[in-house]
Amino acid sequence: MTGEALPAREVVELEGHIIDSLILAKVLDLIVAAGADYQVLDVEIGRSNVDQSHARLEVRAADQASLSRLLDKLQVHGVNRASGGDATLVAADCDGVFPEGFYSTTNLPTSVRLGGEWHEVENPEMDCGLVVLPDGAVRTVPVHRARAGDRFVVGHDGVRVEAPSRPRDGVRFEFMTSDVSSEKPKATLIAQVAERVRAAKASGGKVLAVCGPAVVHTGAGPQVARLVHDGWVDVLFSGNGFATHDLESNVFGTSLGISVREGAPVEGGHANHLRVINSVRRYGSIAAAVEAGYVKSGVMFECVRRRIPFVLGGSVRDDGPLPDVISDVVDAADAMRAALPGVAVALMLASTLHAIATGNLLPAWVETYCVDINQAVVTKLADRGSHQALGLVTDVGLFLRTLADQLCSGAA
Amino acid sequence: MNEPAPDATPGLGWGRRYLMCPPDFFGVFYEINPWMHTEVQVDAERARRQWEGLVSTLKQAGAEVELLEAAPGLPDLVFTANAGIVNGKQFVAARFRHPQRQGESAKDVAWFSAHGYRVDHLPPGTNHEGAGDALPFGSVLVSGYRFRSDAVSHAEISRLTGAAVRSVELVDPRLYHLDMTFCPLDSRRAMVAPLGWDRYGLRVLASLVPEPLFLEDDEALSLCANSVVVGTTVVMPTCPPRLGRALEAWGFDPVECDVSELLKAGGGCRCLTLALDVELGKAPS
Repeated sequence: MTGEALPAREVVELEGHIIDSLILAKVLDLIVAAGADYQVLDVEIGRSNVDQSHARLEVRAADQASLSRLLDKLQVHGVNRASGGDATLVAADCDGVFPEGFYSTTNLPTSVRLGGEWHEVENPEMDCGLVVLPDGAVRTVPVHRARAGDRFVVGHDGVRVEAPSRPRDGVRFEFMTSDVSSEKPKATLIAQVAERVRAAKASGGKVLAVCGPAVVHTGAGPQVARLVHDGWVDVLFSGNGFATHDLESNVFGTSLGISVREGAPVEGGHANHLRVINSVRRYGSIAAAVEAGYVKSGVMFECVRRRIPFVLGGSVRDDGPLPDVISDVVDAADAMRAALPGVAVALMLASTLHAIATGNLLPAWVETYCVDINQAVVTKLADRGSHQALGLVTDVGLFLRTLADQLCSGAA
Repeated sequence: MNEPAPDATPGLGWGRRYLMCPPDFFGVFYEINPWMHTEVQVDAERARRQWEGLVSTLKQAGAEVELLEAAPGLPDLVFTANAGIVNGKQFVAARFRHPQRQGESAKDVAWFSAHGYRVDHLPPGTNHEGAGDALPFGSVLVSGYRFRSDAVSHAEISRLTGAAVRSVELVDPRLYHLDMTFCPLDSRRAMVAPLGWDRYGLRVLASLVPEPLFLEDDEALSLCANSVVVGTTVVMPTCPPRLGRALEAWGFDPVECDVSELLKAGGGCRCLTLALDVELGKAPS
């Protein structure tokens, strides 16, 4: 059995005349009989008959629940958890501020020890605090959501972080051995991503698409619309630019004034995106514009029609913006957080700001594929802590066409 | 009866001086083991006669008996074996699993303090029920765990007494103390109830006791292992015929001593006594 297949771990100790009493042998037998595994970290064997022996083991089990059951069983034989004590909790003294010395989170699976028991953090997210709710549940909370009186974990005692691992079901991405790839045959790589999307959907996971405006500029908007139409996208994150150009290209056939078909500037086209924003603002929302028949195709159209939740986060250079854009970035991030539960695969499509914003919110176990023509974006995502992000340095248009062909039946 | 066994095996080296407590307030007032049933009446007068019979049998066998004063509200104080572990002039007080018996400790500690013993305590949160779960054999202390005593307490007992401990997991709740499954007879022999031990314990036994006398399951459940050995006399709550013959063949003198009223609380002859002449780590010579 490999350690990778048994992610739940605990270091335990036992002492006494454990060799001559066969207690150590019995404990090791019990661990194996429970389908768990162990590594003997150290054994100090007493020199004389009277000297006691001491053993430290790392016990590994398939999940936290079976590990806890096993440790309870072993406790009868004198086996105790070696790790120190409980986590220290301090109440926040005012809203929007963590207590001093707060524990700052990673996006990795994390557990907190309270009353001798390990509690798994429900929603791992990097750069947050850990709040312990009255019922013992432990959640990550961004600093602006801290409320006076909330009990936060301070210091590192009683906090355990699981080492990052590759996708849980053990399927290997041979092509991802170099995390950023511009040299590999793209079709095979994209076929493998399609396979991962299929597998995630089959096991009930959601697929998140994070789209940058280049998706539309490269003419790949219809491919994303196809994926949404056929049910391969469950959540969409983007900004004012992508949504505007998607609407513009479907209303006027241009993207930033350039004809999407011919690639040539269109008379007066430079104002098209503003005219679209203006009209949608008159309708009140993208959904209202779709209902009214102003928009008849495209990604946003398919999202509205299929009731796919989307979050459009604003930025300081936005024109308009569209009425659906959440221009308070803290509110936008909260809206993105709320849409994340259940997401198993994230596709970052030619987006820098929204990809990094999303990467900041994702637990490390979400399979993340970052597609960009610019290697720097992929590297940046990993450098900011989203180590699970695997990159394809390629044209997003090519990627989406191949992916849609793999996943969707029929033409766009 | 002080002569060694006929084949000249050294005896236990202990078991000639006991602490006992009269059953003045004895009864079955709660149920903390499978033998106890509060609806079963105890005949107090009969219990008293049986207990006095045990005292005189032990004395006849050559043992001295010291007395601990009985106390109201502590019916099980009569089972002095559970008071703690005696090691020379050291006394390690028991920490009882059940709250019903925890009040006994103060009485036990008072007696040992008054009699010049150094009293040591196990850390709070650890349970160990004294000699009921710890019997010396050769140079080691065999100690049971699971039902009444915790395995972690064994390391602490070893630290406090300097004794090498052999930990044995007890597996039958009817035989909830070690002294219901194990009775050292001399330096090489002991009665053992395999019914009460797990296979690891039995492997430890095989390397520890050169000549075990294994009890059949029904024999074990008669609590015949809960016997007191004084020299070559084995004072037993009951003596199944096969066992009696085996003991006699080894040169022992089994004596039945009716303690049936006290058995209603799940304790036999051994439970009613605490050996005071134990020095741990000393192999009999």
